[in-house]
Amino acid sequence: MTIVAASPTTTRPRASATQWVLARLGGLVVVLWAAATLTFFALRLIPGDPAEALLGGPGSQASEEALETARREFGLDQPLLVQYIAQLGRYVTLDFGTSYSLKQPVSTVIAEQLGGTLVLAALALALAWVLALGVAVWSAQSGRVAAALGSALEVIAVALPHFWLASSLVLLFSTTLGWLPPLSGRSPAGLILPVVTLAIPLAGFLGQVMRESLLDALSSPFVLSARTRGETSAGVIWRHALRHAALPAIGLSGWAFGNLVSGAVVVETIFARPGLGRTLLSAVQARDVPLVTGIVLVVALAYSVVTTLTDVLDRAADPRLRTVVEA
Amino acid sequence: MHLHARHTLALAVLGVSALTLTACAPAETSGGSTSPVSGGTLTYATGDAEPTCLDPHVGGNYPQALVATQYLESLVSLDDTGTAIPWLAESWTESDDGLSWEFTLRDDVEFTDGTPLTSAAIAANVAHVQDPATGSSTGYLALGKVTGVDEVSDSVVRLNLSSPDSALLESLSQPWVAIQSPVALERDQETNCESPVGTGPFVVTAWDRQNSITLDRNENYNSAPADAGEGDGPYLDQIVWRFVPDSATRYAALASGEVDVIDNAQPDTLVAAEKDNALDELDAPRPGASNRIELNSGKAPFDDVRVREAFARSAAVNDGIASLFFGTADRSYSALSSVEALGLSDEDLFTFDADAANDLLDEAGWTERNADGIRTKDGSTLTLTFPVSTNQSIPAEQSLFEQIQATTKEVGFDVVLEPMDLSSWYTALAADDYDLVSAPYTKVGPDVLRILYHSDGITPAPSGYFANHSKVNIPELDDLLTQASQVTDVAERTELYADAQQIILDGYYIVPLFDQQNHYLYRSDVKGLRAIPTVYTPTFAEAWLDR
Amino acid sequence: MRRISVVEAVSGAVLLLLLVAAFAPQILAPQNPLAIDPLASFQPPSWAHPLGTDESGRDLYTRIVHGAAPSLLIGVLATVLGVGLGVILGVAGGLGPRWLDTTSTRLVEVLFAFPGLLLALLFIAIAGPGPVTSTVAVGLATAPGYARLVRSQALSVRRSGYVEAAVVLGRGWWSRLGRHVLPNVGTTLFVLATLGVGQSIVWASSLSYLGLGVSPPAAEWGAMLNSGRTYISSFWWMTFFPGLAIVLSAASTTLLGRSLQSRGRAR
Repeated sequence: MTIVAASPTTTRPRASATQWVLARLGGLVVVLWAAATLTFFALRLIPGDPAEALLGGPGSQASEEALETARREFGLDQPLLVQYIAQLGRYVTLDFGTSYSLKQPVSTVIAEQLGGTLVLAALALALAWVLALGVAVWSAQSGRVAAALGSALEVIAVALPHFWLASSLVLLFSTTLGWLPPLSGRSPAGLILPVVTLAIPLAGFLGQVMRESLLDALSSPFVLSARTRGETSAGVIWRHALRHAALPAIGLSGWAFGNLVSGAVVVETIFARPGLGRTLLSAVQARDVPLVTGIVLVVALAYSVVTTLTDVLDRAADPRLRTVVEA
Repeated sequence: MHLHARHTLALAVLGVSALTLTACAPAETSGGSTSPVSGGTLTYATGDAEPTCLDPHVGGNYPQALVATQYLESLVSLDDTGTAIPWLAESWTESDDGLSWEFTLRDDVEFTDGTPLTSAAIAANVAHVQDPATGSSTGYLALGKVTGVDEVSDSVVRLNLSSPDSALLESLSQPWVAIQSPVALERDQETNCESPVGTGPFVVTAWDRQNSITLDRNENYNSAPADAGEGDGPYLDQIVWRFVPDSATRYAALASGEVDVIDNAQPDTLVAAEKDNALDELDAPRPGASNRIELNSGKAPFDDVRVREAFARSAAVNDGIASLFFGTADRSYSALSSVEALGLSDEDLFTFDADAANDLLDEAGWTERNADGIRTKDGSTLTLTFPVSTNQSIPAEQSLFEQIQATTKEVGFDVVLEPMDLSSWYTALAADDYDLVSAPYTKVGPDVLRILYHSDGITPAPSGYFANHSKVNIPELDDLLTQASQVTDVAERTELYADAQQIILDGYYIVPLFDQQNHYLYRSDVKGLRAIPTVYTPTFAEAWLDR
Repeated sequence: MRRISVVEAVSGAVLLLLLVAAFAPQILAPQNPLAIDPLASFQPPSWAHPLGTDESGRDLYTRIVHGAAPSLLIGVLATVLGVGLGVILGVAGGLGPRWLDTTSTRLVEVLFAFPGLLLALLFIAIAGPGPVTSTVAVGLATAPGYARLVRSQALSVRRSGYVEAAVVLGRGWWSRLGRHVLPNVGTTLFVLATLGVGQSIVWASSLSYLGLGVSPPAAEWGAMLNSGRTYISSFWWMTFFPGLAIVLSAASTTLLGRSLQSRGRAR
């Protein structure tokens, strides 16, 4: 579908760089505020007494005095709105509080666990890209059977749940073949299985998206004209089509990041890797309000950073977008 | 000179008079010709939840007991028969009126921070456990009758009680009242939680949260319990205690050699390990209650004993236990674990009999059936709510519950299984939102019956927690349990507890399933591993690596 | 009209089978999926049990057939919910006034910033586990993705000549929506939605892994995958066949959606 050229009524002059940055920062603050608020009220809705969570959970047999003390100390006896304002105030001063269940400052917990998840997510994203691109390009070049095969692989990859994939990979590569260790300690070899587990379903999804736009691009006029100019098939693909194929996948990277964090919850648990995903799961189950909120904020921040980066990349890769102001 | 494993076994046999009911795996019986070698790092992978505090005084659960066994020790220990033996206390006497106990401590023991073990230390520990600010639950209950501590001399300490306590020694043998350095206890709780100081064979040197705890050898260790033999341990340089929640990964790591010992081994891996020459098993059923289903007699429909009996008689579990546990677990017909010497079994009460169940339900007025085959009475269905904690119940157990759901449906029960996480599960119990529940309880000795079946156990703590899930409220039973907790004469105690258990079983307040499963798998080149016959946690004090 | 390709025929047939399994399972598997037989547990595939038995001796084939309904239902309903929410948010953003656009974009970004699993976890922690909450949780988690897509399509349509012409011609808002935006958005959405059904089924099975899914003894594929996972090293069929069912469902819906899309293109 062709887009009618920009007319004065539907586009605006490009904003200055400073304005754009400020707008982004403003948006970021709004997102963080909304995330914190949503989490605050969502966690309050969970049945159970937060004071108990402080003292080790409802099975703790804590005495009434201990619960009362805990409530007063953490301001849990104040009306909800007061608690909310107080909490926001603390966040503004970058005070993330102390984790109820781990008894450590939230910032310490996050600092310790963040690295693990980031490494996992970054490597998985990279691997997913390589796999997706590889399969898309190979199947586009190698004829119909390859295309069908590539397509089939992608469809299957997307339908594999992380927990099943993890168990199967451990069964194959650790137990049966003995090539890789099942637990990922500090060694790089231990990273392989978790990263592959996260990467495969994502690669399937990215691959499908890439293939669509690759095929679209390959049948577009400029590619045909390139062919008539005598460029080889590989040259054509590499130079023209790939750029267009990668575009939607770049745009999806923001979503991919969220998907990876979700997957990290399962993967970190199964491979016993320290990381935010595993911490988040146990924090939610322990009704550990400060820790859950802290992690949510960090993830929201990271997600915003990733989307900003992808937007920048998008604009760099696609000139069409440079005349439009909207993010 | 190092004693061979054979010598250790001989000593143990000499010391034991009765048939052992435990499944504590013996130290090497294969001839063990190599003698202990010093050095090496052992990796232990636990499937239990990571403790929030390494000091077992705080809270008090099994994961804490597992790791604290390596660096903390108790006043007394138990041998295979359940008899108290010296540990940090050399000897003890009970006063004639039973209201005080005097313990004589070893005089050659120091905590790893240099503080000597004196009666002042014992006093500080008791105070710490009983202080509400510590937040102790298990230890607190164990020392429930202790009113005060007198430091008679540096090495003699007297515990004063509110009433005679026949379970005192058993309570004191548990890791949840283990003895820590009084100087260390004075630090703030957060610091003490990270590195408690004790007298044990190892010392906590690092805690990498969500990953592992590092324990180094205590070079000055000299306080092994009396049944530990005369080894020269500890031999290991270091233990790395890893948290691996997924059971399949845990076993894969053991099979590949990445870890040396695992706990919470699943039944099918036990069978696989049997065939693997590189792996051995340590079967150590936990003491206290058996793994049982408790029936909430506090409300309909289980307030009618006939309905309870009908349930017990229509729940076919034996085939399920045999198939789901691959023969590694035996059906239990007792309220107590098989390691409890005073346990009473009554198989006839629980024989599967669908006809009898149907008759009982008809008798109890549940005569109509609805379209799904569920019995109804005055408009309500015979529905039973069964919250299941996915953190505590292993998959095989959950499958067993599904089978119970299916077989009891034949006679008209509608069991609704509700899997949920631990917090929600506690909340459901506190809200009386259950008819059936399976809640493990580990405590040394038959006194656990008092905690679980005395009517006092119905009153919840302020947090909502209570232990008497069956809501048993029988004055005669209360009397028996109270009496039994004060009587130290073994014969009398045995009879009292036998009567108490008969009442519990006859009333169909529980359906016993099997022992609390506690299987450890370890690589065959790990020698000298044993489970302490108190709460059956493994100790590595005499362990060494044959590599 | 093009001839039906092999791929289309196969995926169509699979889909048909799945629908039959969902609506009338007794035709394909007359036995009771809940009938236990502990003595026949963990049996490998055989004549008596073509796909083997599970840990309680239940026939796996029967359970998979009867499991089509709950599994597919969760997948479809969650997708419908996600798409519906997504369309509302996306249209509001793409076609509405600027303030609505900003608000809905921010809302979508916030929802996006929550990893889907976390949204699901929080929702289930509040509302308790079960098929309904699983469905809503997965729907909520997938909605932002659809919203974003709808919005960007709506935006590009809005800037196109058609809508301008419609405005000039005085056509109402609804007509603009119905005639121009929805049809253009529709095909892409439909394709993504077919992909989404498979995704939702996978999501729901992950929730089962975390113990937050349907209650036993329901024969839901995700739950079966989860309970079989414990025994994956000893009894492979307990995860392989439910997993295959999930993959086949996801694959057939996706492929069918794609072929519909390419037919639409060819027109």
